[in-house]
Amino acid sequence: MDAQLISQVMEATGETLIMVLFSTVFSLVLGLPIGVLLHITGKEESGGIIPSPVFNNVLSRIVNVLRSFPFIILLIVLIPLSRVIVGTSIGTKAAIVPLSIAAAPFVARIIESALKEVDPGVLQAAKAMGSTNWQLVYKVLLPEAMPALISGLTLTIINLIGYSAMAGTIGGGGLGDLAIRYGYQRFRPSYLVAAVIIILIMVEIIQVAGDMIVKKMMSKR
Amino acid sequence: MHIKLKNLKRDYGTLHAVQDVTLDIPSNTIYGIIGRSGAGKSTLVRLVSMLERPDSGEVYYDDERVDNLEGKALIQRRRRIGMIFQNFNLFSSRNAAGNIAYPMEICGMDRVHISKRVEELLSLVGLQGRGSAPISTLSGGQKQRVAIARALACNPDILFCDEATSALDPQTTRSILALIKELQAKMNLTVVMITHQMEVVRDACERVAVIDSGRIVEEGTVSDIFANPKSEVTKDFISNLTNVKDSIVRWSDEEGRFTLRFRGNTTDSPIISNVSIETGATFNIRAAGVQEVSGEDIGVMVVDIGPDEKSVRAAVEMLRKYGVSVEGEV
Ligand SMILES: Nc1ncnc2c1ncn2[C@@H]1O[C@H](COP(=O)(O)OP(=O)(O)OP(=O)(O)O)[C@@H](O)[C@H]1O
Ligand SMILES: [Mg+2]
Repeated sequence: MDAQLISQVMEATGETLIMVLFSTVFSLVLGLPIGVLLHITGKEESGGIIPSPVFNNVLSRIVNVLRSFPFIILLIVLIPLSRVIVGTSIGTKAAIVPLSIAAAPFVARIIESALKEVDPGVLQAAKAMGSTNWQLVYKVLLPEAMPALISGLTLTIINLIGYSAMAGTIGGGGLGDLAIRYGYQRFRPSYLVAAVIIILIMVEIIQVAGDMIVKKMMSKR
Repeated sequence: MHIKLKNLKRDYGTLHAVQDVTLDIPSNTIYGIIGRSGAGKSTLVRLVSMLERPDSGEVYYDDERVDNLEGKALIQRRRRIGMIFQNFNLFSSRNAAGNIAYPMEICGMDRVHISKRVEELLSLVGLQGRGSAPISTLSGGQKQRVAIARALACNPDILFCDEATSALDPQTTRSILALIKELQAKMNLTVVMITHQMEVVRDACERVAVIDSGRIVEEGTVSDIFANPKSEVTKDFISNLTNVKDSIVRWSDEEGRFTLRFRGNTTDSPIISNVSIETGATFNIRAAGVQEVSGEDIGVMVVDIGPDEKSVRAAVEMLRKYGVSVEGEV
């Protein structure tokens, strides 16, 4: 273990954390409204509040197309967009743009399926009491679905940790980049091992923390 | 609040869930709507409670037409009705107090006011001190009590109950019905009680409408309907009544040809003997009992009448003259 390895691994860990943190936040900002829209414009029997089949169908298709886009291609296609948004097309900051956009449709689906679990009868009761559509969403749907939403968020973060490893392609840095550049291309297995171990630890921490929060919530219900 | 329904219709595709329902639900009463599964009860209550729009027809609360309300007006009107359900439909993300607070939160009442009112409501339904209980820790009866408190939080003038006791055991059903009756009187509510249990109608309602295949087949005071049921559905409901306390005693397995129903003061006089003496008819009693229906005694007797057709006719005619309802082929 040399000092250089330690400092490089630390730096890469920081980059990964930044990428994952910001892309989680931005993919939520993009994905949450889309997921909510997907759900509330769905069929009334499955809990739709303002059923609009045409809109729902179009949105659903768009989300599906975006989801099936290979991430590595999205990364390259979105280079110009990164330049517009963050002023550069390389580096950690630039990688956050494609990461967020790639994860958003995934987040939307996760949110939609979490909301589907909410009992339509409960929604009907809230509607009968005179809730506005907005109140139905933020006072009933989201709180009722919270444990499922947290599970979904856990999954999203873990996926983003995986995706962020590919960000090295556009010089995004991070643990994945380190493992490939040093561990693989320069035959230094210690880098590879260190990067993998840290990624495993991160995933494990997120998973355990997510499960704990869900368990705590369920114990109060 | 007096509710008037005019020619209500609702189709689902080719299925006529509610067809041409016209009803007058008087104010300050418990009004039963009974029907078999799939008869259209829930659909009807959704139409009357502004949850769904009829394809045609009108709904009036007093003289205000409500079936065509939209936007803000609809939301505001909904806030002045209460509704409870078979599955309680409580929020699992909120405890008992939080559930009761919800309708007050959505109309913007302030916190202090809300928490005071929640305490009041909890004790009104007999759950004082249980406000912090998570919903999953409550029994069915307690859940329905929370739902009732939630429904009454904003002092509604109408309470709709869709099969509110169907998921409860008989004893809990009785206590919930007693609570609804008590609150009805206390708050001058108009209660519309949807059910498929004749016991509920008998024990709680003043008037009842019988719905079958989306149509009202019979309507009247509960004691009238029990004494003199006209439609097959109603007769079925009455004969299937199961309640140990006043069930009919059968001492013969053979069906009698006639069902006689005696109500009120007719249960006091020796009608059968009189008829027998005057017409020479003989009565073979197969089963008999007394049922209490909204505070009134109704005697039920299943009999064969003999010995010949002439005396049977005479006996039936005379029984009817005495005010006894006679059901069966002469
Ligand atoms: N949203 C809907 N879409 C299509 N058909 C429906 C819908 N709601 C009800 N129906 C149909 O309308 C008919 C009446 O249903 P409804 O729920 O009103 O009956 P119900 O009397 O409440 O029965 P239950 O005692 O089982 O609750 C049924 O045949 C049902 O399948
Ligand atoms: Mg029903």
